[in-house]
Amino acid sequence: MKKTLTAALTGLATILGAQSALADKLNIGLLLPFSGVYAALGTEIEAGFRLGLEHFGDDLGVDLNIIREDTEVNPANGLARARKLVMQDRADVLVGIVSSGVLGAIRDFVHGAQVPLIVANAGNDEATGERCSPYITRLSFSSGQVNRPMGRWMAEQGITRVYTLGADYAAGRQMIGGFTETFTAAGGEIVGQGWTPFQQTQDFGPYLAQARASGAEAIYVFYAGGEAIAFVNQYDSFGMAETMPLYGSGFLTSQLYINAQGESANGVITALHYVPTADNPENVAFIEAFEASIGRLPSEYGVHGYDAARALTDAIRAGARDRASLANALRMTSFDGPRGATSIDPATNNIVQPIFVYETVTGETGAMTQNILATLPAEADPVNGCAMPAPATN
Amino acid sequence: MFRHTPLRYAALIILFSGAVFTAFTAGYFGMEILTEILILAILVLALDLVAGFGGMVSLAHGALMGLGAYAFVALATKGGLDPLVAAAAAIAITAGTGWVIGAICARSHGIYFIMATLAFGQMGYSYFFERPFFGGDDGMVGPGRFDLSFIGVDLNDGRSFALFCLALLGLVYLIAVATLRSGLGRSLTGVMHNEKRMRALGLTVWRVKADVFGISGAMAGLAGVLAAQHILFISPNLLHWTVSGEALVVVILGGLGTLVGPLIGAVAFVVLKHELSHVTTYWHLIVGLVLIAVVMSRANGIFGFIEARFGPRTDRLIQSIQTRDDAKEAVKDA
Amino acid sequence: MTPDLGFWTLQTLNALQLSMLLFLLSIGLTVIFGLMHFVNLAHGALYALGAYFAATIASTAGFWVALLVAPLGVAIVGMALYGGLISRMRKSGPMAQVLVTFGLIFVLLDLTRIIWGDLALAINTPAALSGRVEIFGTGYPAYRLFIIALGAAIFSALALILSRTQIGAMIRAGVDNDAMAACMGINVERLFFIVFCVGCALAGLAGAVAAPLLSVTPGMGLEILIPTLIVIVIGGLGSLKGAIAGSLIYGFVQTFGAVLLPGIASILIYALLAAVLLLKPVGLFPAKG
Repeated sequence: MKKTLTAALTGLATILGAQSALADKLNIGLLLPFSGVYAALGTEIEAGFRLGLEHFGDDLGVDLNIIREDTEVNPANGLARARKLVMQDRADVLVGIVSSGVLGAIRDFVHGAQVPLIVANAGNDEATGERCSPYITRLSFSSGQVNRPMGRWMAEQGITRVYTLGADYAAGRQMIGGFTETFTAAGGEIVGQGWTPFQQTQDFGPYLAQARASGAEAIYVFYAGGEAIAFVNQYDSFGMAETMPLYGSGFLTSQLYINAQGESANGVITALHYVPTADNPENVAFIEAFEASIGRLPSEYGVHGYDAARALTDAIRAGARDRASLANALRMTSFDGPRGATSIDPATNNIVQPIFVYETVTGETGAMTQNILATLPAEADPVNGCAMPAPATN
Repeated sequence: MFRHTPLRYAALIILFSGAVFTAFTAGYFGMEILTEILILAILVLALDLVAGFGGMVSLAHGALMGLGAYAFVALATKGGLDPLVAAAAAIAITAGTGWVIGAICARSHGIYFIMATLAFGQMGYSYFFERPFFGGDDGMVGPGRFDLSFIGVDLNDGRSFALFCLALLGLVYLIAVATLRSGLGRSLTGVMHNEKRMRALGLTVWRVKADVFGISGAMAGLAGVLAAQHILFISPNLLHWTVSGEALVVVILGGLGTLVGPLIGAVAFVVLKHELSHVTTYWHLIVGLVLIAVVMSRANGIFGFIEARFGPRTDRLIQSIQTRDDAKEAVKDA
Repeated sequence: MTPDLGFWTLQTLNALQLSMLLFLLSIGLTVIFGLMHFVNLAHGALYALGAYFAATIASTAGFWVALLVAPLGVAIVGMALYGGLISRMRKSGPMAQVLVTFGLIFVLLDLTRIIWGDLALAINTPAALSGRVEIFGTGYPAYRLFIIALGAAIFSALALILSRTQIGAMIRAGVDNDAMAACMGINVERLFFIVFCVGCALAGLAGAVAAPLLSVTPGMGLEILIPTLIVIVIGGLGSLKGAIAGSLIYGFVQTFGAVLLPGIASILIYALLAAVLLLKPVGLFPAKG
């Protein structure tokens, strides 16, 4: 039954694909949360994406028509919207997806319908692992990619005993899992782990007290959004910085939140695939343009959108005009962007990018900024059971 | 007790023909919206049955729907059951769960009842959210739609699936009416109006509430099974209390305790939501204002307003036609 | 390594701190219910509004001004709501009032998004309270002790007002039997108005107090609504005693559940609520039997 469905979708997709093959107009379905808890992320990704199209897309000779749909951070709703974009609006390419749940939900559909999807945030490892697809290209990050290097790096700094704390949901488990794996492999010891109910925890006090009682040398955490702000503020108020320094995956002290965290974030060391202080000409240009149009510094979310636009325009410039050729061209993406040398690994379709270890510090103007401690070399994710044909190279 | 007035028949006929007309003319997305309305309509009928006729305002119905979806998907994909068998089992599970919730909450009233049902609903939400076996917060892929090829129907076709949902909605409506007209339904109305008296009359009040809640739970479970087949994917969001809250808004918007009203509410809510969300991301604001306006108008929702305005007139009209016919017959007889 | 006396003291303080925050929210809600017999579901949205007001004011005038002005601002919003919506709904029955306030949740949530945007805001802890107090050899944040003290002070003040003053007697009479109270010459409408505004101000105060501890996001009102409702239902509606008992139960179950039973922490409080309602269908200390 599932097979007939896929067959039907494929047939339909082929017809639709053929229709737009010769067109000089491409429909881009922008699938992001514009309401709900991730609305701020969706808005910034869209801003970055539009900025990217402005920078790289004005000499394409192709009319780009953007259709926005709101996923509301709800997987079922995201899938319904993705279907609408493909079946009704005849999108040639989908861009977006913030939550891993939504990505998991739409994966089979975009794969079956053979519509290229540029993932501009969601980081679940499976999407470029066992559930990978030649139609899904990720320009953002994978959970493991951001956290694994940090395990080795912390072990190299001589830290041996760590307590971990994270939000209890799939992404949180994966992020902490990536760190734990490399940290223990490098000889470190995880002395305890705490999981806080996702979006139901206002007070981290009980968990912090437990971490303190564990006697670990350091604490490694994953939080994002409002939870990240509350966690950093409460960690600071308990005065644990002297005895148990705070490390984490860099979403904790994203540029998006550090103004709200203020001095509390001072001295927190995290790792991420982008920081606004990254020193390269592409980043300087990007920051300048983003500040000019939005009025504040971009975070990694803005870069996801910006680089998604870069990858898409590069693919179009290389001659891709329909779903199949776009999907193929996107897998060969490679450019120097705000994050440094950025490319797609055709074995998994995940991005390959350097990881920055950075300390959040108080800047000269009093605003919080990032001090890069180390730039860890880019490495491709392990294949993780992903099997797909290599892209055609003609 | 539930009664069909001419106005209610008229509304049902208009809604039914509207649904059939849409099913045969709409494009892809129109069909999706129609199906969404039909599934929501089943859920709100289930809610109206307990809230409108039993005074049991439930915030567990979203969770019951989600439970139905999860039971169906888990039994069909992990349990290897035939989807039709899995669906029947899922409906039985939600009926049983609904019965138990109804029995436990039967002694609570008003806000306490709302909170008790909320507690059960949120327990279910947290359970599925944190259970890796059910995919955790990432959710699960559904087993696909029913195979009805033995009667020559392919549900993978959007129109067939919409008509299939319409047929089931009709069935649910008839069951709701039959329930309300049965002894059980009469007891329920009695309990809503004066629980002490019904108890004094020797009625086992909690049993009545639990039985109706069980029937309502089965309907919510069916809505869940259909939702899982429509989207082909389920996630814990289905069980969240805001889904129940939204269903309650739909019931109130349409007209509590009228069965027909919630159907109108479902149409109004889904269409309003889709139209508004294209114009603005702040569509909740407008839905909120509409809700406040409807409640402030003191009418019993959209359909209550229509009934209060046109009900007596149509009744009189029908009556006068009937008396004329009766008179004619009397003349004939004479 | 093994948790000692200091550890359990810390956790007790954490539980107290959470309880007092919830108490500030639930007392207004429960007394409004006791008098007017409806649950103001927009109470959480008013709490969020208090936090946003505080964040805006604190950025220019500092925390202490914000702590005073934000509750007043929320009280003014409360007055407008009472005059525009609630008083007109007095005769429409509790269900209609609940639904109007449900609609208000949607409206206020999107209004905060439109005015303050989707990005989270925050307030810095005031300098005087940013330190720590030594308790059994471990530091405990002074700001959390301040919340506990503030909650205790408000509780004592309300207990005194309710038991010793004329307006307290009027409120008790109104909760007991509002028709009878009106016959006795009490201006019940004015009483409703005052209690509603004070309830709103307390919600605003809770928001302002919570802002430096948590983060200020549009969704914070919706997140706190369910815990607050659980508190007042466990405690029993309409009574001060119920609000404080419910808050303490919630705070301790949540805190020690997270420590002792982490696997079921998220469903523990719901299970407790169901259990309480099964044994006592109207909560532990309802205002009326």
